[in-house]
Amino acid sequence: MIIQLPTATPVLQSQEPPLLELRGISKSFPGVRALQDVSFSIWPGEVHMLLGENGAGKSTLMKVLCGAHQADAGAFFHRGQPVQITVPSDARKLGIAVIFQEFSLVPYLDIAQNIFLGRAPRGRIPGTLDRKRMLAEARRVLDLLGMDIDPRTKLHRLGVAQQQMVEIAKALSQDASILVMDEPTAALSERESEQLFRVMARLKAQGVAIVYISHRMAEVFALGDRITVLRDGQRIRSLLPHEASPDALVQMMVGRSVDMTYPRHFTTPGETLLDVRGLSAASGIHDIALTVRAGEIVGLCGLVGSGRTEVARAIFGADPVISGEIRVFGRIHHGGPEAAAKLGVALIPESRKTEGLALNRSVADNIVSAGLPKLFRFGLFSPKRARDIARDIIARLSISAASTQVAVGTLSGGNQQKVVIGKWLAAKARLFILDEPTRGIDIGAKAQIFALVDALVASGAGVLMISSEQSEIVHVCDRAYVMRDKRIVGELQRDELTEQNIVLLGMHDA
Amino acid sequence: MLDQILPTRHPLLVRIPGVVVMLAVLSIGFAWASPGFLSWPNLSNVLAQSSVLLLIALPMTLVIMTEGLDLSIGAVLSLASVSLALVAVTTGSLLLALLVGVAIGAACGAVNGWLVAWLRIPPFVATLGMFGVAQGLALAVSDGQSITGIPTSVQAMYSGTLAGIPVPILLMLAATLAMHALLYATPFGTYVFALGGNREALAFAGISQRRVLLCVYTLAGAMGGLAGLLLTARLNSGHPSAGIGMEFDAIAAVAVGGTTFERGNGWLPGTVLGVITIGVLRNGLNLIAVPSSLQVCCIGILVILAFVFEAFTGERTGAQV
Amino acid sequence: MSATIFSAPRFALSSELVRIGFRLLAVALLCIALSLASDAFATQANIMNVLRQASLLFFMASGLTLVVLTAGLDLSVGANIGLSACVAGTVMKATGEPAYAVVAALGIGAFVGLLNGVLVAVLRIPSFIATYGMLWILHGLTYAYMAGSTVYGFPRGFRQFGNGFFLGVPIPVLVMAASLIVLALFTGRTIWGQQIYAIGANPVAARLSGMPVRRRLMLVYTLSGLTAGLAALVFLARLNSAEADIGGSLTLPAIAAVLIGGTSLFGGVGTLFGTFVGTLLLTLVLNGMNLLQIDSRWQPLVTGVIIVAAVWIDIRTSGRKT
Repeated sequence: MIIQLPTATPVLQSQEPPLLELRGISKSFPGVRALQDVSFSIWPGEVHMLLGENGAGKSTLMKVLCGAHQADAGAFFHRGQPVQITVPSDARKLGIAVIFQEFSLVPYLDIAQNIFLGRAPRGRIPGTLDRKRMLAEARRVLDLLGMDIDPRTKLHRLGVAQQQMVEIAKALSQDASILVMDEPTAALSERESEQLFRVMARLKAQGVAIVYISHRMAEVFALGDRITVLRDGQRIRSLLPHEASPDALVQMMVGRSVDMTYPRHFTTPGETLLDVRGLSAASGIHDIALTVRAGEIVGLCGLVGSGRTEVARAIFGADPVISGEIRVFGRIHHGGPEAAAKLGVALIPESRKTEGLALNRSVADNIVSAGLPKLFRFGLFSPKRARDIARDIIARLSISAASTQVAVGTLSGGNQQKVVIGKWLAAKARLFILDEPTRGIDIGAKAQIFALVDALVASGAGVLMISSEQSEIVHVCDRAYVMRDKRIVGELQRDELTEQNIVLLGMHDA
Repeated sequence: MLDQILPTRHPLLVRIPGVVVMLAVLSIGFAWASPGFLSWPNLSNVLAQSSVLLLIALPMTLVIMTEGLDLSIGAVLSLASVSLALVAVTTGSLLLALLVGVAIGAACGAVNGWLVAWLRIPPFVATLGMFGVAQGLALAVSDGQSITGIPTSVQAMYSGTLAGIPVPILLMLAATLAMHALLYATPFGTYVFALGGNREALAFAGISQRRVLLCVYTLAGAMGGLAGLLLTARLNSGHPSAGIGMEFDAIAAVAVGGTTFERGNGWLPGTVLGVITIGVLRNGLNLIAVPSSLQVCCIGILVILAFVFEAFTGERTGAQV
Repeated sequence: MSATIFSAPRFALSSELVRIGFRLLAVALLCIALSLASDAFATQANIMNVLRQASLLFFMASGLTLVVLTAGLDLSVGANIGLSACVAGTVMKATGEPAYAVVAALGIGAFVGLLNGVLVAVLRIPSFIATYGMLWILHGLTYAYMAGSTVYGFPRGFRQFGNGFFLGVPIPVLVMAASLIVLALFTGRTIWGQQIYAIGANPVAARLSGMPVRRRLMLVYTLSGLTAGLAALVFLARLNSAEADIGGSLTLPAIAAVLIGGTSLFGGVGTLFGTFVGTLLLTLVLNGMNLLQIDSRWQPLVTGVIIVAAVWIDIRTSGRKT
């Protein structure tokens, strides 16, 4: 990924004390030590990258920083002076603002009301709001960010990227001098990310410090002035970008060397399992044509918004199709998900928690949920047989679960994803459509997932895989289609499959 | 599903709320079918009759915006009605009756708020429980009988006029304006939006979600008390079951008016229109001499139609699958 | 309803057993307490009476349970009973044939249920609104149909259905037992039952797992209507008459029984047996109040308190949060 970042003022780590320093912070919850003796510092105008797996302590650290949690031990220093951060207002007074992934914005209020939620200026009539001042101030911070939008716009009308900007505006309006951003580019398109980086450059120039949590190595090295790695609640190292390499960072994050090349056993592809021609759907995708053969992992790439998920859903039957032909295992498929499942097509959706699993139900119940008509004769359900099937799948996929009866919501992200795949395995699917299968999954678990997928196709299944991580596509796929603006703009064979080619095909014309 | 059958929404339709169309269609229809419909005495009658419902539908809008429900308000209304009737009959004081009614309503509302906000009981269940409790208390207080002998000062609340305008209509106006100001021009109003749209936002802002919820339900109860006074004045008696069932009408009016049950999308003017629509429907059907049993039928159809229409044109998403 | 913050007990199944266990314990304790408090409780006549009352409530609550399992609500059951009972009653009076009444009651009940299902599953109207609107429609139709009159005096053979005994057990109780077994098997031991639970737990995931969500929802509402039709027949047999407002007052107690029995409004959790125990609990309490000569006006209050208490206990023990 090529990031065009306008030049920013280099950080001066002068003799002055850091803007904020944490020393020896520890925080425990019942049964888990989330943070152990973590020390951390940040200077004005610095972009400090924070890396770590899920469970490493990043979000706990963020919450301690903003006063949502109280540290059990340790000390805080603001410009060298000792301070307390025990409640959110302490953090606010020190100028600390956190931009969470799930925004703290209210959809049906407008931008100005959102910016001033809980601290609105009062009008002359007691109890009312001073709209004029609110709008004027909102206008001021929006201008600071270069956002040309009416502060009276209701929030639900804004896209994700714009909402994120409003979050930042909210922070600025509270005179934030330290911004903590949690995976800010996760839901943004390339263009929107660039816009964000431009804003960050502006903020840097004004002396705002930014703590930036990210998994994306390209961002870490392009944007970061310093990098800190957390693992298991402890700080492993803080270093400068030129002192590290991506592999070294991953090793620090995971604690062991991880094979990032996701070994694949390429075989000669077999019969055509999926043949799509001229597919157009109400979701906007147009004239899609692709094939998947047995033994292949076919990638589907493109930027956020290029229509990949829409293609996946249309093929599966989750969204209505306007025109075109979908042939699965030689048969025409024009029904909904029920027909797809019967034929042996599987969809592993992007958001496994909301679309792929019933979190409150047991692992066993989830595993048999897609194959009920196939696994149980005469419509009679047997809990014992369900448990047996589940145990078999758990063993085959190495799912880590205390028993078949635990609620699936208690499992880790990686194991949850395995349950989703297992559900379709149990349903005897032979064509798998995976939509961002490794999103939100630890690096260690990612390798397991890919090994799983590799085994699937080795046994004769076919896989269509959507991923925003080009490196994954390049390592894992036999070939890949690239989408742009809801159409397929190219197909890359194995020997042409490089990150550069994917990006070239997929980016908007400059 | 509906949005598969109809690919696009007509751009003009999107702007007009369903309830407005419904009200317009009904009004035009009834005006054409019955000449007496558009007369001032008739229209003022429609408004007056809708007054009690509006008083409880307005705070119900706020409750629903917080992703809650108040099933108890009809029973609370009845409890307030019999209690204040007793007070009015024994003391003859309108003011005392008002205070008692509102106090009792607010107390019931506060209990609802406590159950929902502190004990975390789902609003449906909590208010269903309060429904039973309030109804039981109403029956106990009134001994199962109507309380008659209401002093004229109280009766005047419904039948009296001020500057030529019937008191109930003035009350409706005042209540609507007050609620409107509360929801759209005060910080509290933004908290109500936040409770439904994104509760976390309040936590980050350091505002107590529980207190806001408590206020919302207490307000609903208090308005229920006020509505009880109005109802007592209208019926000229305090009856323990007078208000039972009105909670469903109120919820229907709010839903028809366009407020969604999720995400904190509230539209007070819609609620007002929803209440008036139901009133217009009843009145119009009366005028064209439809038997009351079938009137009730029509209300049911109206509620469903209004909702379907809203799904067509509004920004609402279908609730279940 | 807002998204459930997930905080589940560690073992989904055994927590279900624990909850039912608590309730059974409550029933047992209640029985002991009542037999101590009143001599009239433990008599043959009273027990039979309790079971008969419970069966009536159970018919309504059983179909309703299925609806609530899908995170829905059917407010129209009471009015459905009214319409079905009145039509069936008049048909039976006119033709003298109970068989026609049975067909009428079950047919109308199921048809109304199907209509509800269409409103909810196809037109995507929230079940609360759809069944509420249906409630008014049914009420109106029933009142218009009966025009204020009452129909009474049904054939003896038919009345036996409500008043008769078989092997010493009242027939309605046998029918209740049968429907409990059938519906419990349906929810627990068929794939359709599993699909219903899945739809209640997460309808989107259910659809994307290939389940026919729309058809199942329609089925569930139709079954709810069918059981209402069954309840209508029992009403007719017991009261030997039918008038327009039959059944209206039982809607909330039916919902109460479902909630007390541990079925969650959010869907995906609950059992028929739980509803059965909830029905028993409620009926016992009301029966006890009658025996102790507590005025019936206190019944709504006690019902209200029990509902809140039962749900609160559930929330505390299962960790489910709103």
